[in-house]
Amino acid sequence: MSDIRLPASGLAEDILVNYGEKPREFHLVTFNLGEEYGVPINQVQEIVRVGGITMVPNSPSYMEGVINLRGRVLPVLNLRKRLRISSGKISKASRIVVTEVGSKVIGLLVDAVSHVIKVPAGFVESAPEEVLEVDTDYITGVGKLNGRLIILLDLEKLLRREKIEVKEAETDSP
Amino acid sequence: MEYSDLIRDFLDDADGHIKAFDSSLMSLEKNGLNKDIIMGVLGSLHTLKGNAGMMGYESLKNYIHQVEEILKQIGEETLELDPVLDMLLNSSNVLRNSLQAIGNDPSANPDLTEETLGIQMQLEGAAGGCGKQVVDISTYLGARTKTIKVDFKRLDDLLNLVGELVIFKTRLNQIETQLRGELTNKSLGRELNAGLELMGKTIGGLQEGIMRARMLPVSHVFGKFPRMVRDLSKSQGKEIQLFFEGEDTELDKTVIDELEEPLLHIIRNAIDHGIEVPKDRVMKGKDHKGSIVLSAAQESNFVIIRVKDDGKGINFDEVREAGVRKGLIQPDDPFDKDSILSLIFAAGFTTKEEASDISGRGIGLDVVSRNISKLNGQVIVDSSPQKGTTFTIKLPLSLAIIPALMAEAGGEVYAIPMSAVDESIKVREEDIHVINNREVIQFREKVMPVVRLDDFFGLDRKKRRRFYLIVLGKADKRLAIAVDRLRGQQEIVIKPLDDTFGKSYGIAGASILGDGRIVLIIDVMSFWNKGQALGHRGPGTATGGVDNV
Repeated sequence: MSDIRLPASGLAEDILVNYGEKPREFHLVTFNLGEEYGVPINQVQEIVRVGGITMVPNSPSYMEGVINLRGRVLPVLNLRKRLRISSGKISKASRIVVTEVGSKVIGLLVDAVSHVIKVPAGFVESAPEEVLEVDTDYITGVGKLNGRLIILLDLEKLLRREKIEVKEAETDSP
Repeated sequence: MEYSDLIRDFLDDADGHIKAFDSSLMSLEKNGLNKDIIMGVLGSLHTLKGNAGMMGYESLKNYIHQVEEILKQIGEETLELDPVLDMLLNSSNVLRNSLQAIGNDPSANPDLTEETLGIQMQLEGAAGGCGKQVVDISTYLGARTKTIKVDFKRLDDLLNLVGELVIFKTRLNQIETQLRGELTNKSLGRELNAGLELMGKTIGGLQEGIMRARMLPVSHVFGKFPRMVRDLSKSQGKEIQLFFEGEDTELDKTVIDELEEPLLHIIRNAIDHGIEVPKDRVMKGKDHKGSIVLSAAQESNFVIIRVKDDGKGINFDEVREAGVRKGLIQPDDPFDKDSILSLIFAAGFTTKEEASDISGRGIGLDVVSRNISKLNGQVIVDSSPQKGTTFTIKLPLSLAIIPALMAEAGGEVYAIPMSAVDESIKVREEDIHVINNREVIQFREKVMPVVRLDDFFGLDRKKRRRFYLIVLGKADKRLAIAVDRLRGQQEIVIKPLDDTFGKSYGIAGASILGDGRIVLIIDVMSFWNKGQALGHRGPGTATGGVDNV
């Protein structure tokens, strides 16, 4: 985070001028879901251990429940279920990655948190078209680093799509 | 709001405007002409003028109008600033004196005709029209106010903090109970208990104080309707009088805000569908003027708001037919009056075949029931043919902290707002009967539908010989929610659930308990819908619960 300085104006345009057009590197928090996934570190607020999840009835299957994050009721998304990867068991290594997307704070349940890494922009390719489907535009690219593959997620798209699907699900629920 | 309150508000407000006027004039004197400052001060004066006019101080209003004119001309550079600056500074003293006179005696209506003429003369080039206004030195301080304006968010933050305190208090009480058995030093235990009790009282007082600071009289909402009633009734050729009762009853500001829309729809319905035109009324032997009474009253922890009209009442047959047409009910369903009346709250419900321009588009009353249930309240309608219709809204005093009954089902704990609960009873499995594929229980000579909490939320059902029914009451209807165990009553702080993943049907919010666990708060409305849907054998009504807005 320390190498990013926001322009005094705080305007989105100015930030984009400086950083948006040609990011020299991606600063990521990566975690494991069978494959390695990464989200921008500036969207990660903190990482907490799994515990005290309250199940919310009549919610989508990928909604794991809510947790008490210092007095705040935080929704937790089961990322495996959301990405339609065969679901794993919650283990000692499982963590909740607390992300801040826009004005929303949402927890992502992952198998394990691996690293905080920097991937030079040159090492990131857009995901091969063959693996992308209509509703998988939340994958922004694939980072290649020392033989590892890191799938970059766009949380905003991931969560926005949720909303649409939920709306549809709602109409035939009760 | 009482007249004296209005005067106080007016004076408080005026004081601010005069201060702004003064500081702008001083800045103009020091730095010369600045159009932004002129624009700003014109805004202040304009508000002051409007308020003065509203309060009936005509002369003061005219005077301010003249001052405005001068400033406008200065702003447009058709008048030079320097020659009139003294006069402007003097005018602020004139205003101060008038306001002080009003403060001393609200019935005083300061006569500023001379001063107004003086300004007009000066404008027309006749120099030195008015004499200098002499002010008593203390007038510069303005009236001392007894109120302050506070950003509502600050009060909100305070209430949240108190909410946390309430949670911690509960936790400490739990620990104390656990300790009691283990403690060997009994006198220390007693002291701890006494200390906690005192702290509890103080927290209670603090909570009440902050709640009170957030309260507004319902006249804030009521006051918005006389104009609407006048205009709507006029356009429909009706004569309607609007009466207020108990308009100084106080409610949390957030509740007041949410109340506007439901009341608007109810009153509009009373005008459109309830009150008849004068000719019809006279024919029925009623007064040619119809009346709508808006009343508010506090009953223990709730506020009851009623909208009562003396119109033609709701036509049960029409409602029933429309219900059948909409597929909400079956033609051969047996129906009591209340079930028919509750149909009018269904989404898109209207008895009119075609939408009129004013109402009858089938929106409105479903908004009412949805908004009120969002506030953890209830709305009940009662109507007698040719006598009129009454809507009764029951609301909790505050939105943020409510008493709730904690109940366990399928291994999870849920909170049920006490506002909805009538009582709870212990039953055995044999007491539950099945009629027409739905579970019911005989309760005080009546058959009451039973909805099982574990089934409703798709939880595993625990085998129990004895369990509890929480009886919900709405007017004279009853519905029972079956739970495994009761965990007592508790004050809970309502926290909204994030809706990124959509609203969960049947859940109104969440709360954090003393031990840090989260409990979900039940949306009582959806249980009523479920109970009713079962009762009608038709498709569930679309009201409440799922909120697509």
